[in-house]
This record gives sequence, structure tokens and C-alpha cells, in this order.
Amino acid sequence: MAIAKSKRYINIIDTTLRNGEQTAGVVFSKHEKIRIARMLDEIGISEIEVGTPSLGAIEREIIKEIVKDNFNSKLFVYCEAEPENIEYAVQCGAENVVINISTSDIHLKEKYKRNKTWVINKLRETIRTARQGGLNFIISAEDATRTDLGFLLKLISIAKKKGAYRFRICDTVSKFDPFRTFLYISTISSATNFPLEVYNHNDFGMATANGMAAIRGGASSLVVSVGGLGEGTGNAAMEEIVMALKYLEHIELGIETSKFREIAEYVARASSRAVPIWKAIVGTNVFAHESGIHADGVIKNPKNYEVFNPSEVGLTRQIVVGKHSGSHTILHKFKEFDIELTDKQANEILNMARTMSIDLKRHLFDKELMYIYNDFLKKNKGRKEE
Amino acid sequence: MLREIDLLTEFSQKAGTEIDPKDIKIDDTTLRDGEQTAGVVFANDEKIHIAKMLDKVGVHQIEAGIPTMGGDEKEAIKKIVSLGLGCSILGWNRAVKSDIDASVECGVDAVAISISSSDIHIEHKLRKSREWVLESIKTSVDYAKSFNLYVSVNAEDASRSDMEFLLQFARTARDSGADRLRYCDTLGILDPFETFIRVRNIIDIIGIDIEMHTHNDFGMAIANAIAGIKAGAIYVNTTINGLGERAGNAAFEELVMALKYIEGVDMGFNTTFFRALSEYVARASDRILPTWKPIVGGNLFVYESESKVSGVLANPETYELFSEKDVGLERKVVLGKYSGVNTIIYKLNTLGFKISLKEAEELTEIIRDKTMSIKRALFDSEIIDTYKSYKDRLDKDKAGNRGGK
Repeated sequence: MAIAKSKRYINIIDTTLRNGEQTAGVVFSKHEKIRIARMLDEIGISEIEVGTPSLGAIEREIIKEIVKDNFNSKLFVYCEAEPENIEYAVQCGAENVVINISTSDIHLKEKYKRNKTWVINKLRETIRTARQGGLNFIISAEDATRTDLGFLLKLISIAKKKGAYRFRICDTVSKFDPFRTFLYISTISSATNFPLEVYNHNDFGMATANGMAAIRGGASSLVVSVGGLGEGTGNAAMEEIVMALKYLEHIELGIETSKFREIAEYVARASSRAVPIWKAIVGTNVFAHESGIHADGVIKNPKNYEVFNPSEVGLTRQIVVGKHSGSHTILHKFKEFDIELTDKQANEILNMARTMSIDLKRHLFDKELMYIYNDFLKKNKGRKEE
Repeated sequence: MLREIDLLTEFSQKAGTEIDPKDIKIDDTTLRDGEQTAGVVFANDEKIHIAKMLDKVGVHQIEAGIPTMGGDEKEAIKKIVSLGLGCSILGWNRAVKSDIDASVECGVDAVAISISSSDIHIEHKLRKSREWVLESIKTSVDYAKSFNLYVSVNAEDASRSDMEFLLQFARTARDSGADRLRYCDTLGILDPFETFIRVRNIIDIIGIDIEMHTHNDFGMAIANAIAGIKAGAIYVNTTINGLGERAGNAAFEELVMALKYIEGVDMGFNTTFFRALSEYVARASDRILPTWKPIVGGNLFVYESESKVSGVLANPETYELFSEKDVGLERKVVLGKYSGVNTIIYKLNTLGFKISLKEAEELTEIIRDKTMSIKRALFDSEIIDTYKSYKDRLDKDKAGNRGGK
């Protein structure tokens, strides 16, 4: 049913180490940066943005060390369009660079206080330095979704002429929904016939959907981060994009998804931001089932409520007992403990469990289920003796 | 039926089409699907408080719970009905008479009758046939209508259902007198394009009111709900904070703000109350609001990097589509690894120190080193302390130089 649903390859460029770290309050240590880069490389992420060389000597040391390492991933560093920044990139030993510049009228007027000619000149100057340094470069248009389309097309044609690797379209303020994204990207893609990469923010909860829409529109690459870590509300989450490509678009990138939970946890700790238990794809609650209807369905056949097996992303399925549980769940749960209950017993235990769950305002731990079972046995024994 | 080939034209037209805000209604299910989340239990007092807040913020319908569960649940629903709120109160039911009886006993004015429409659910979960499903819809809608209730028929797992059967399902619901069909993307497997075409087909062919119920398993709950609205759906089933089974549902606050700021559909909700509402539900469900949570998390308005701070100080619209006050939040500037001179001058100024550009340049490096060694942004007291030590050192150097001469 889908448009452009074909066996094409989509490139993923992960910016956890750059825009992820740029999140207010987040700082990775050198050790963590290197570890995260290695993890991304190991699972098969094709491109990684590793840092911002203009941020000073320490950052450059870290970048140097990562770049020296023997990675399969293509490593990029990030520079605001300024020849000096490119020189810093060269000092780090970087071979690939993202050159960023704002392109929208509002950013030109309010942030740069410059005009479009200035942007073009600045870009040309920076590109020249990058070419002299022998660098491979992506041109990134910040706030591209609020940019005059004619101007954006002009910049893309400059990038193309100067031998850019790709052109990045940034939806900096989350201006678009998937339909607008699709139209915008397909318009630009057919007008320029140049490889496009799309960068989304999650201000309205649509980063992943917009990324996927961009793919439909003809983009060849998406900017992602682990857990969606990034400035403000964050970016399109790497694990969501990879799994959505696989299960919704049937595009298999060959990434080792079983490490997703582990990486999410590592980045969460390094950034001091716990993975919410309901986080799509990698949250521990995603495969936890409580309600009678859902748990019963999953017990009968996981496909009733699961699209893929939890082990595929490094998680495990949990059946928990709480207020919304049904008697089938109780039967199943006790079978796990090697206890066979009759339907009548299960119903009685269910009532006790529900009451307790309401009282405690949470689901029950396995231990608590056993306490209930013991109470139940005691009660019944008493009953028989009467 | 709408085919792929029509899709592009349809999107291009719909992407710019005006939607009348008065036509769109929110049916919030925080109290039902939200509470159904593994591990979440609301106390009855909390349920009542949430219902009052939802009514105050302006939702059109509250899905208050599952009457047939009895006990406490039933009591809570009865109490919510007795509050005499301005919105409609809906009870959730299986397609079973006894469930509907329980709803009637609670006094709700609306019922949702839920039954699976996908073959996989019909075979593996219900272990029945398609005919049995259609018959159950007929019987239970008939029964609910005999009590003059507003009836929503929920097509559970609609997104994995055979389209021909789903149309039959919708037709049966319509012909039995149901008021709307809830399109449940139970597993969160739709993307906005699929959603659009499927919902559009049901509306075009069957002509029944549609409600969107979307899940966030692939991070697309909001986008899919909006796609449904663009296709002509007029109800959205939301939860506060997106609370719901697994990865959750479409978040009320995200949907309302996306409609307002991206689609230009202002439903007139009291958005300044959003943060308070989100915080209450977060506490009652024992799930902390992540700082990066869209709309109400707060981090959208916390700035550290030089590029953003420079823009926002000149004009907030450089990086903001709505203002922090619109959703009951505050704007903050913090100093960290990515801060530069403008950020530092501004921040120290708010702390009562006027510094020169040269000082700011030197401080940038000092602050960056410090923030990298402690692995976080600096607290205000640390910034002041850093600035004062820097000043002392300057003064000493000056004195030293003078002494040397």
C-alpha cells in the first residue's frame, strides 16, 4: 500500500555524541564518549557525529582519540559555518564534517542580523577551507522548514556544485507534520536530485513519524540519537527509526537490534536521564502486560499484542498481576511457580490480588503473590476444619 | 476505495485544508486505558480529582473506567457521574450484556463496546468467528441503545484487520445504530499515511463518525491521530502524558498543541493549565515526567548552547513556536559545555554581575572545563563562585604586576 516502499538502503547518522550532548545539562566524559561511539559502531550504525571541534582543546582531544580508533562507521564532526572551525576539525584528524548554517529569514534577521548574500558567502568560504583540508562535507540548513524554498534550492545547488556529500534539512522548531514533511522533501528531492538527509525535533511528539515521512518523500538519510537524546524535547530516536523502518517499511538495515536496550541504558546513565519505563522500543514496560484482556491474549499467542519478540531489542516479556488482571493471568502466573490452580481457586486469588493492588496502588511482586497464596491456603484450611 | 495512486493528490490537498476546530472532540481515557497500564493504579479520590481537572481543562468526554470490574472501580465511576460535570461520561465494555448492565447501573451517558476486528485476535484471543463478532456487535449495540446511551463501537486491532471485514464491521455497527466507530491501532503499527488512507476509506464507504485510538509503540501515536483527523475522524482518544499500556497512547497535551500550532486548529483549551494537569497525573500514576517530555517537560525552554541562546535572546520565535507561558512553564538559561560569550554575559547579568566581552571570553573556557569535569551544567551558586574566583585572580595578577614594576 505504501508509496516508495522498496528495497532501498537508508543511511542512519547518529548524533548522540553531538546534539545529544548539546542537551542543556548533559555532558559526557571522555571515557563515555569513546564507549558510546564504539557501541554504535559495533551494532552497525553507518555514520556517527562525534563532536564539535570548536569547543576547545579537551573536546578536540576526545575527538582525536575516537577518530584514531579503527571504526567501520564513517565519523563526522560538527562545525558552524566558519573557516576557523574547519581548521579545528582538521587538527582533530577528522575526514568528514557537517557544516551548519541557519537559512530561515527569521534566523538571518534576528540571530545573525545578516542577509542571504552573507549566508552564501559564509558557506562558500567555509566550503573552500573544507575542500583545501581534503574534507568530505555535509551542508546542514538550520531551520530549513521555515526557509524560503527558492533560497534553500539555491543553497542545495551550491552544495551540489561544490561536491558536498549530502544536504541536511533541519526541522529545527518542529514546524512540520508528516504530510508537510513528505511534500517538502519530495518537492526538494525531485527538484534537486541530490541526496537529502533530514533532522527532526520532537516538540510535538512527531520526530519519528516525520523521519519516516521524509524517507517516503525520498530522503536517503536520517539524523537520529539514542533514546532521542537532544536539545529541548530531543530528536528522532535511533531505536524507533530502525525498528519502524524494519517493521513498518520492511527496510532491513542489518543493525544488531538486540543491543538496543543495553545502549539505551548506557546512554541514559551517562546523560543522567533514566530511560522511562514506557519509552517506545526499549522501555521495560513495553513488554509488560497486566490487563486481563492483554495478558490473556499474550499468553495464548504473543502475536496478539506484540509486533516483534522482546529479545529482538534486548528486553524480556513480563506478565504482571494487578488491578486489571484476569483469572487466566493468575493460572498462568502460578504455573510458572509450579502450582496448578483450579478455576475456582484462581478466581478467589484474583479477588485477593486485585484488592491488594488497589490498596497498594501498584502491581504485585511475585513474592506478594506467594504471600496471598499462603493466606489463601490458611483460610481454606480453616474453612475445612470448621 | 481510495488507492495508492490518489494518495499524493489527497495529501497535497489535505495538508493545507482547514479543519473546523468545533468539529473535533477529545475523549480522554487516562482513567481507563491510562490506568490499564501495567503497574498503574489510581486511588478513587485521584480518579475523581483527575475527572474534575479534565472537565475544567475542557475535554468533551471522559472514559471513566470499566464498570463490569465492579467494586471500587464501579464506585469511582458512579461518583464521577454524580459530579454533574459538563462533559459526557463513558464506560468501557466488552460486547457482553452484563458489561452494559454494569455501565447502566453506574449512570454513564455513553458506552464504548469493544471487540476485536482482526483475524489474529478473533482466532487466537476470542477463538470465535467473524460472524460471531458481527452478531455480538448487533446484539450489544441493540441492547445499549435500548437504554438510550451514546454508543461507540471499538474495533480493537483495527489496524491489523482485513479491510473488507473492517468495512463490514463498521457497516454492522452503523446499521445497529452505533454513534461512532473507534479505530484502534492497538499495537501502534500504523504510520500516518496508512492511517490516512484506511480511515478515509471507512468514512467514504460507510459514513460513520470515527474516533482515533492510537498507540506509541513506534513513536507515532500523535502523528497517526492527526492523520486520522486529516482523513475526517472527529474524535481522538487521548491520555494525559500519553499514559497507557506498553509505550502509551496519544498524549492529550501533545495532540492539542500540535493541532493548534502545526495544523492551525485551535480548540480553545486552557493550555496554561497543562503543566499542572500533567504533574498531577504523573504523581498519581507514580511516573515522573521526563524533562524532555514534549509540551510539558520543561526542557524545551531550557537553553544552554550559544547558538540557541543568541537566537532566543534576540527573539524567542527563532526557536519557539509557542511560549513557555502558554503551557504553564518557565524559560531558563543554564551554563554548560556548549555555552559561549552571549550566554555567559546574559546569565551573569541575571545574577547581578555586568561583565565585559573580554571577561566573557576568558570565562567561557573556565566554565567549559569546569562543566566537563563535573559532568553537568553549573548551579547558580557555582557560577557566582567561579566568577568571583576569576575576578580575585585578576585583581591579584594586577596587584602582582604593579608590585613587580
